[in-house]
Amino acid sequence: MRSPFASRALLMLLVALIVLVYGFPYAFLVSTSLKSPQAALAIPPTLLPQQLSIENYANIGEHPTVQRSFGNSIIIALLSTVITIALAVPAAYAVARYATWAGKAFLFVVLITRLIPPVAVGIPLFVIMRALGLIDTHLGVALAHSTISVPLGIWLLASFMESIPRELEEAARVDGCSRFGALLRIIIPVASGGIAVTAIFVFLASWNEFLFSLLLSSTGVKTAPIAIAEFKTQYSIQWGTMTSLAVLFSLPVIIFSLLMQKRIIAGLTVGAVKG
Amino acid sequence: MPVIRLTDRRFVLLLLAPAGCFLAIFVAYPLLLLLRNSFYEVSLYALNEGVFVGWDNFVQALGSSRVRESAARTLNYTIIALSAEFVLGFGAALLFHALGKRSEVLRTIFAFPLMIPPIVAGLLWRFMLIDNIGIVNHILETLGIIGDASDISWLGDRDLVLFSVALPNIWLTTSFVALVLYTGLQNIPAELIEAAKIDGADNWQRFRRVTVPLLRPVIAVVLILRGIDAARAFDMIWIQTEGGPRFASEILSIHIYRAMIRYGNVGEASAIATLFMLGMVLASALAFAVIWGRGTSQA
Repeated sequence: MRSPFASRALLMLLVALIVLVYGFPYAFLVSTSLKSPQAALAIPPTLLPQQLSIENYANIGEHPTVQRSFGNSIIIALLSTVITIALAVPAAYAVARYATWAGKAFLFVVLITRLIPPVAVGIPLFVIMRALGLIDTHLGVALAHSTISVPLGIWLLASFMESIPRELEEAARVDGCSRFGALLRIIIPVASGGIAVTAIFVFLASWNEFLFSLLLSSTGVKTAPIAIAEFKTQYSIQWGTMTSLAVLFSLPVIIFSLLMQKRIIAGLTVGAVKG
Repeated sequence: MPVIRLTDRRFVLLLLAPAGCFLAIFVAYPLLLLLRNSFYEVSLYALNEGVFVGWDNFVQALGSSRVRESAARTLNYTIIALSAEFVLGFGAALLFHALGKRSEVLRTIFAFPLMIPPIVAGLLWRFMLIDNIGIVNHILETLGIIGDASDISWLGDRDLVLFSVALPNIWLTTSFVALVLYTGLQNIPAELIEAAKIDGADNWQRFRRVTVPLLRPVIAVVLILRGIDAARAFDMIWIQTEGGPRFASEILSIHIYRAMIRYGNVGEASAIATLFMLGMVLASALAFAVIWGRGTSQA
């Protein structure tokens, strides 16, 4: 039998190898974005830029549509976050605190929405948004994104709220606080950490969403993922600029995630582990 | 004037009402419209009108070889992505578990792809897989696995493309699988493993008889969640190939999108989408019953 030290070193090596393979693609993306546009397409490709260049980033300046799309994405993601939190907080509280038949049925329905392929509801949503006059508006796209994040938000928030001790509200109720008062003055402040994490999830879900944005926005409120995807067809493929756009687009996601990494992973896994 | 007393039940309904109305208007109603469209001949330009055609759209969908092929591709794609993610993710989880606390930094780096937007992953892999200038073929050439950098046409070869478009999906979600399973492994009481050790069980027996059965609920949830997401995939494949070359990576969601938007065939596309959803519900229920149900009946 091998010594414990040798086998541990072997384990470490194996894990380091896996981590290297999984970390490589993004590192290569960043490295490519910092090459000159010509060097990005060199044969054979180099791992690192031979000469650092920000030309790919500067080139974004020539594409106002793409620049505007980042602004659209921010507005839509913020709107979707506000809508989702406003709807999901009361619903999650009801589901987490009051074990009623309606609450359980609601949670089940919410779970079922995960099975719906976005492409299935895309056209009907288009019809509804048109009837409401919301085609190609920030609000229309934000509402469509919220169809994904309201269920997600309710699940996340319900699990956060379940961990708040019941005694807190009971004490408030005894002191003469109404049910709404207890929710507003006790639960929401105590759950603010969980609400913040949920808000970030919702923001990112909207930021990354592709299909609804493709169907519901045209020239007016085109979001960044769509603008980036169309970038290739419109100007053949400028891979250099494409890599710099990809880096910029992933930046908010990475910053948010790094800031709250522990909680994000806990959030992602909470639904899964608790089932 | 009668005063309505706010009972617990009324309070719950009041809290659920806003989200409930939202989901009714923007999720349930669209689903009803989809179901209705499945039975109508509808044009993209007059979505509110249409002629009732009974089961025609379903008959046409089930009779079309292109639909059957894209259904088979959806299944293949899901199996490819899911099995790779699960094997790699479970392997990584076991390694992290074996390392214990020392794996923290490595786990943090490994979690990184979780944070990458799907569209970026799709673009990045498309770039890396280009046959002549792509880094993947260049690395394979350097390692001597292929003779020339243009030997493998990852996204152009019809037999290979379904595997190639699964790569970004596998890359992004292995860490999710690994982290969930790792948490599950950490929750297994150490005494149970110790007891099995004292009873003389070797590593493999302990894994088969103790770890896997206890992990079964977590495995079930991971497989079902990831399976659903892989089957519904759209953006990562769309951005890499748009379903090409010659439909070789056209899975159901891409086929439905094309039928609706490019060909304006809303009725038949709705029928396919309805069948697709029905299939997903059945497959999830089956997976749930088989993986989870078997575990609890044994226990």
